[in-house]
Amino acid sequence: MPFKIYGFPPSTCTRRVALVCKELNVPYELIPVSIPKGEHKAPEYLKRQPFGVVPAIDDDGFTMFESRPVARYLVAKYGKGSTLVPDPKDIIATAKFEQAVSVENNHFDEPAGELFLQLVIKPMRGLPKDEERVKTLLATLNSKLDVYEMVLAKQPYLGGDILTLADLFHLPWLYGLTEKAKLDLVTSRPNVARWYQEISSRPAWQAVKDGA
Amino acid sequence: MTILKLYGDPIATCTRRVATVLYEAKVPFELIFVDRVNNAHKTPEYLEKQPFGQIPYIDDDGFILFETRAICRYIAAKYPECKLIPTDLKKNALFEQAASIELNDFDFFAAPTVYEVRSKPRRGLQTDQAVIDANLAALDKKLDGYNAMLGKQKYLAGDEITLADLFHLPHAPILEVHAKSDIMVRKPNVARWYKDLLTRPSWLAYEG
Repeated sequence: MPFKIYGFPPSTCTRRVALVCKELNVPYELIPVSIPKGEHKAPEYLKRQPFGVVPAIDDDGFTMFESRPVARYLVAKYGKGSTLVPDPKDIIATAKFEQAVSVENNHFDEPAGELFLQLVIKPMRGLPKDEERVKTLLATLNSKLDVYEMVLAKQPYLGGDILTLADLFHLPWLYGLTEKAKLDLVTSRPNVARWYQEISSRPAWQAVKDGA
Repeated sequence: MTILKLYGDPIATCTRRVATVLYEAKVPFELIFVDRVNNAHKTPEYLEKQPFGQIPYIDDDGFILFETRAICRYIAAKYPECKLIPTDLKKNALFEQAASIELNDFDFFAAPTVYEVRSKPRRGLQTDQAVIDANLAALDKKLDGYNAMLGKQKYLAGDEITLADLFHLPHAPILEVHAKSDIMVRKPNVARWYKDLLTRPSWLAYEG
């Protein structure tokens, strides 16, 4: 039975899961849950995902949600030999991976996501930008990416010497901010630019970047 | 082997999150105070260890690590007898799901509330009630999701306690005590789970 993703093709988190499926060559069936139609808040969907957000997955009867945990599960189940998550027996490499994953979720995801909302989503819906909020978000994200620039000067990837999920998790927002919002957050920083160029040119991301 | 050093502040919630897990895992540690009032966390020497200029970080016999949840996971991995992260494929996936819920659905709203009701007054800054109200309203909706899940299982990842439950501890009681909100006890399954967490010896032991 194919791996089922209940999601909305353009959604960040749905694309994050689809990306890892592609990386691991796990075929999937995307079952559409329409956000514009409010299907993510329907009682049948809430049974699957009690917080009413996409995506949720069904792997031959095993159900779960939250895009980053799904990605970890995919690697654990289907990624034999994959280095996208370090071997748990290597406690130090795992700790550095967890530090990088935490940095993405704690430092990057929130300002990046809200900036995308302000600069791309709101104009699309004919809503006015909040200029003050944009200034604050840009200042925050720039200060975080200054740290990334320093870290990526010393090592090729955020977790160390090997590409991991910690790097890939950044792709949906970085793609949106760089290519849709046309910000120079990435291009103005040589090491971040090098890292982004590499991770964004991976065939798995190219396959899902505009829709899972 | 030298004793694990936790660089932080006893009153800070993130430091307490790590200390609670160190107690659970029965790992002796030394807490080294970082004086944020005097910007000790922004010096070049500090930034070498924690480049975001935040507390805490650990030095475990020369191994430096920051991000509280990464530190807690490292402790749980190094001392697996504390059984705070399941290893079975599906149980581990549900643990990761719970840990993601804690960060993205709970702390996303709890952390800014804690900043308003506890950190700002300590620093002589003005609390913004509108921010508190908006975050608590959003958190209340998320706790409906918690209530549904905790109606079917004892803890957030299943029937056994994991790091994902413990991660809630520093911020959840502050909502009760400092924000004077009954948000953690309004829904029956959430209340049961929350009160259980508050009885953990590791939570009670830490006086910091």
